[in-house]
Amino acid sequence: MFKKSHPLQSKSEIALRNIVVLGMILFFSVFLIAPIAIAFAGSFHEWNPLSGTYRFLGLQNYKEVLISSLFWKSLWNTVIFSVVVIIFRVGLGLAIAYAVYSSLVKYKSFFRTVFYMPVVTPMVAVAFVWKFMYNPQIGTINQIFGLDINWLMNPKTALIAVIIMTIWKDFGYAVVMYMAGLYSLPSDALEAAKVDGANSWQNFRYITFPLLKPMTLFVTITSIISYIQAYVQILIMTEGGPGTATYLSSYIIYDEAFVKYNFGYASALSFVLFIITGIFTWLSFKVSGNEE
Amino acid sequence: MKKRLTAAVMAAAVAATALTGCGGGSASGGGSSSGGNGGAAPAAEAPTEPFGDTIKYDPSVAINDGKDITVELWEWGSDELFQQVIDGYQAIHPNVTIKLVNNPWEDYWTKLPLALDGANGPAIFNVHNSYHENLINYMAPLEIPLEDLEADFTGVEAHVIDGKVYYIDYGMMTGAVYYNKDMWEAAGLTDADIPKTWDEMREVAKKLTIKDGDRLIQAGLNFNDDFHQNYLLGLNYQLGENLFLEDGKTPNVTSDAMKQVMQMLVDMYEVDGVGSKDFGEKCADSFGQGQSAMVMQWGHYYNTLNTTWTDINFGVFEIPTFDGNPYAYNRYNGESSFGINKNASAEQQAVAQDFVKYFLANDDAQIAFNLAMSTFPAKKSLADSEAIMANPSLSILSEHIDHYIWPGPMPATVETSLKTAGQNIFFNGMDVGTALEEAQQSIIRDMSSSSFTSVEHLYKYAK
Repeated sequence: MFKKSHPLQSKSEIALRNIVVLGMILFFSVFLIAPIAIAFAGSFHEWNPLSGTYRFLGLQNYKEVLISSLFWKSLWNTVIFSVVVIIFRVGLGLAIAYAVYSSLVKYKSFFRTVFYMPVVTPMVAVAFVWKFMYNPQIGTINQIFGLDINWLMNPKTALIAVIIMTIWKDFGYAVVMYMAGLYSLPSDALEAAKVDGANSWQNFRYITFPLLKPMTLFVTITSIISYIQAYVQILIMTEGGPGTATYLSSYIIYDEAFVKYNFGYASALSFVLFIITGIFTWLSFKVSGNEE
Repeated sequence: MKKRLTAAVMAAAVAATALTGCGGGSASGGGSSSGGNGGAAPAAEAPTEPFGDTIKYDPSVAINDGKDITVELWEWGSDELFQQVIDGYQAIHPNVTIKLVNNPWEDYWTKLPLALDGANGPAIFNVHNSYHENLINYMAPLEIPLEDLEADFTGVEAHVIDGKVYYIDYGMMTGAVYYNKDMWEAAGLTDADIPKTWDEMREVAKKLTIKDGDRLIQAGLNFNDDFHQNYLLGLNYQLGENLFLEDGKTPNVTSDAMKQVMQMLVDMYEVDGVGSKDFGEKCADSFGQGQSAMVMQWGHYYNTLNTTWTDINFGVFEIPTFDGNPYAYNRYNGESSFGINKNASAEQQAVAQDFVKYFLANDDAQIAFNLAMSTFPAKKSLADSEAIMANPSLSILSEHIDHYIWPGPMPATVETSLKTAGQNIFFNGMDVGTALEEAQQSIIRDMSSSSFTSVEHLYKYAK
């Protein structure tokens, strides 16, 4: 099936390769490509898989998505949520990674572990704990700061509260990624800068940061993809409320598909979101000059 | 004596179990089921004589010609309670094995329709009417004559589809006001102060409210998180307005009645100061934690208090009215009898039909299920049952139980859209009219493809 590309490959190696590749093709066909195709077809239908409704609507679902004020509101919320969280994730991640990487800091493994612990803690658990911390009557945050704010039910603070929790949970990922990047920097470039008399800031600004650009791009793009899909923290902490103040795009999809069983409309939402995610990802490459 | 023993066994089973009504909530209850009038024991004792009112169950009739057969019964909670009924049935028909399969509520509604769509789905399954549209296409109609069902149970007419009935209500769940007796007494209130009108209710709530300066210490009344279910979707009836217009499909949530109810809730918090949107995230929990003096809750809360919040010394009274002469007191929702899988084999369906008949004819099972859910029995002969009347959350309903309306199996959007409206009013500063108009439009959009039609016109005293 596959052309032999290396003269030293034995027949058994080729067979193994073919089996593995075929397995992967089969796996992705069944669990990725087929569901996407089914959802795409479903986005043109009134589709409730539980009641068996499947009626062709043409572009009606897409029209409804695009004229829905809730969709645009949730999209705006998603943009705010994603941009703020990504800025802090990248900024904090880089700053802390650079600090831990510095020769002034001992126990590097300890700090790396501490900062990474929230990342490996399930979002559901973190969201529940933070929800309790935000409780207006007995929550730790109000008590520590002497405040009287209903964080999660005030439209001015609800999204901010969710953003703070998400930053706390996720910035450790960027710390670890940047530390990996820092340890792989070419030492000759850093030493050359030192010889040329660059101070610490110049060293970071003109040598380290540019060399970390691929890592910054990687963290940013994976964050964009991740945060456009964020909904667990919303589901647990606010359920989109108060009113619809914290609806994110993915939460609408969840709400339409798994609460209202309106799979057709939810599929249309998903594909609109897919296109938007693609545009943002492309823009990230474009801005960073790595569109190739 | 035998019946009392049976009742004790049932009561123990009911108390030990948690019959989940609507997913998140659990309700397990105690109480004797000694009020049955000739019912068969659902414990492992086999009656030999026919029993039941109009619907008669004859234990002497063999099932599946006496040959062994196995069927599955799917449900989402309360295994012991279901098992007791199964044991009673299997004692009569030892050739029948009914395998109980429990799926958590969250999984149940995804797995069940998929299972029913295949060849190996359960022959019998527990039904919740909020999922009516997802189940009805898989259900076989009951073989019990319609007139027999109507003779024994209330509310059957609302379940008739093209002359056939697929499931009925065994119980009616509705709201009542729960109050903390210790707080009541501390405020100098007596039984004579039990409010009959909303004006009286507001005055009592003021007396029960405790503040330290501007800080709320004890809420006189708390409706946080479920005002949409217990107030907005029900008090409109007191003012003579249905939830749906005459076509049965167009929501009527922008009615003057709805606006009046919503405004009353706003005034209770913002004018009377008897509670706060920021005090007690969920009113049911706040009452249980001893922070709120009164809450309006549906029947299952009685059992929740008895099992989860055992330190609370509580009483219960009927929901107040605006003028003492309401069109209807409130909305109720039915707890449904079992569904029968039309895709099951003919033999399995025959067992399922027989099992449902056994369940409906069996007074002890009916009482046990109603006590477990704190629902008022739909079976007419049990309305004044001693066991039912011993439950205060049910006894206070008995006088006006025919003045409660079931709007039909409403799609979830009706509740969720009104919840959003309430949050927009209380938290986002939206005015009542705009918030309800938004809810109206949301419900219309979500119900555009729904087959739901209100059955409010079937209310006994419908205008």
